[in-house]
Amino acid sequence: MPKHIVRLLVLIVVIAIVAFSAKKFLIPASFYEYGHYRGAAVAEIASKVPKLQGSAACQSCHKKAYEEWAAGIHRKATKNNVIQGLVVKNGPGCEVCHTGPAGNHPSKEAMPLSIEDRVTTITHKHIGHPADVPGRNLMLSAKDMQSVCLNCHEKLEARPKMQPQIVVDSHSGKELCTTCHNPHSPRVDFAALPRPPYDPITGKAILVNADKPEDAGDAGTGKSVAEACAACHGKAGMSVNPEWPNLAGQHAGYLVSSLKAFKSGARKNDMMSGMAAGLSDADMRNVAAYFAKASCGVTGGDKAKAVLGKAKVTEAGCAACHNAGGLRGTGAAGISASQAWPNLAGQNAGYLTVALKSFRDDSRSHAVMSSVAKTLSDSDIDNLSAYFASVSCK
Amino acid sequence: MNTQDLQTEEETCGMSRRGFLGLLGKGAVCAGAIVGAVGAGSAIGASEAGSGKRAYQQNDKQFAEAVNNPPKIPEYNWNDHQWAMGVDTTRCIGCLRCMEACKMENSVQMDANHNRTWVERYVYLEGSNTALIDSQADPKNIANAGSETKFRFDNRYKDVKVEKAFFVAKLCNQCEHPSCVEVCPTGATFKSKDGPVLIDTTYCIGCQYCVQACPYGARSFNESRGTAEKCNWCYHRITKGLNPACVEVCPTGSRIFGDRNDPESPVSLFIRNNHVQVLKPEMGNAPNVFYVGLDKEVV
Repeated sequence: MPKHIVRLLVLIVVIAIVAFSAKKFLIPASFYEYGHYRGAAVAEIASKVPKLQGSAACQSCHKKAYEEWAAGIHRKATKNNVIQGLVVKNGPGCEVCHTGPAGNHPSKEAMPLSIEDRVTTITHKHIGHPADVPGRNLMLSAKDMQSVCLNCHEKLEARPKMQPQIVVDSHSGKELCTTCHNPHSPRVDFAALPRPPYDPITGKAILVNADKPEDAGDAGTGKSVAEACAACHGKAGMSVNPEWPNLAGQHAGYLVSSLKAFKSGARKNDMMSGMAAGLSDADMRNVAAYFAKASCGVTGGDKAKAVLGKAKVTEAGCAACHNAGGLRGTGAAGISASQAWPNLAGQNAGYLTVALKSFRDDSRSHAVMSSVAKTLSDSDIDNLSAYFASVSCK
Repeated sequence: MNTQDLQTEEETCGMSRRGFLGLLGKGAVCAGAIVGAVGAGSAIGASEAGSGKRAYQQNDKQFAEAVNNPPKIPEYNWNDHQWAMGVDTTRCIGCLRCMEACKMENSVQMDANHNRTWVERYVYLEGSNTALIDSQADPKNIANAGSETKFRFDNRYKDVKVEKAFFVAKLCNQCEHPSCVEVCPTGATFKSKDGPVLIDTTYCIGCQYCVQACPYGARSFNESRGTAEKCNWCYHRITKGLNPACVEVCPTGSRIFGDRNDPESPVSLFIRNNHVQVLKPEMGNAPNVFYVGLDKEVV
């Protein structure tokens, strides 16, 4: 055989050996095991540790919150109920709202406390506490809570009708969701109100004020605006006609929202719509501050009716919001808990009757008041009005 | 032509006309039988693939290996499962908790445009025959939420007359015939025997060919890792008996997941009791995510 052919053959054999051994060396053993891929990758991918743990994982430490949730509507919707062969409903578990899987949660080693201690004494100083994850706040503050609720419950056109949805302005205004709803079990239990918002970690009540500081008006400036109101509502805010409301001592927040509603047409009154149309937002805040500071008075009501009305207050549900300092601490009957709701103590009985009746016949609407008023008879309305008219407003 | 001539012709050709036609007939029958047999054979192959007995592009030897020597996953055998997902668009409320849960669970990039799953909003204004479509990545939605990581739809249609509107959740369809696997040059992505299309991130070279190949836009590129990113139905969860993260958190039961081998699993019930559709059936990818309530504009 010629020399050059031998050389060529040797070269080919060497290249073949190199190529073959390279292939052996570079392709992992499990490649082509199940197909054109590395078979070992399947088990590797499956070996990742799950982060979301499910609601049951929260139970051992957060007993109270878990119990509330387990008994409530959010939980009841959680079971994958099978009805007529179809899986229906689900529901938000802990990790849906408390963003961030429990996998980010501090381990027991990170929190060397007894379980009970842990729930009540967790502070943010613990490294790895979910609240420390940037941009995430697992233990939601009252403010965050509102946006979390609205993730699912804000009225959107594309949302199916069966989902409970609200328009914030007409449902609660500036009031926080948690004032009436326990987010763990959100169906409102009027018997259990007032419901103090509490810190889920410490269990202590939190004082929340939905109003921003810049919303406070200037009473001095408001006095000049108030002169236009004096013809009907009295110079000091005590009305000249029993069917018109007293404004003295009323919550400023409520006065502002009322004026805005008159201006926008959401609330209708021939006289007030015209009056409010000429007011700027600053005017509204100032005049509201002026009347809020004015000394309130008691107009009084029929005593016999007031006795009957007092007996009805709790049952009718007024007490939940308009009574006893409501949700924010101790206070007097007829003094509302929130700036967004009117004080009723000492108010004109005639005005209260008109207001309740207009809620009842839907000529005035409010998410809560419209439904409450529909449960009241004419005599109930008279009695309740007489009661609140005779309660001390101080 | 007389009889003598015919005789001569037959002798010359070695075959009579009758003989020739007879042979032609027999040949046609035989050919038909062969084609039929091959067709039947491929039909069996397709049905096997459909029921998950054989994964995509798996030859006989590899199939036998997959059955007899499955991957070593504790308390799990991929031969026993055939995963599928259902999406009931009539229940989706667009809360986007699925997106958030997915990102947390799978450490997906926390921005608006890299998603394993997402939700689209379809809105038909009154008198319009075409849908306005947006997702959480729409700049207006991001501005409304205040951050790319607070996934939220804005309320932009509150003052206009809407004829019809709905949300549609999207994710990887874990196709029976995945285009992405077809084009992968390194074997980094593959169809597992129990359904999900997985990515071997150690083998992915980040060429993004699969991102282009997917007809559903279900893949993205993870810049921080340098590899492709896709939904794998939380393979690490389903192999431990858990639901995928998005299914786990969905508050309305809009997402349904389960094993098609179990006739009583949620997804089997869902498929059996509903008129289900898949996205872009004309692409021939045979998706494994089944939708209820799709509209003509949804692709």
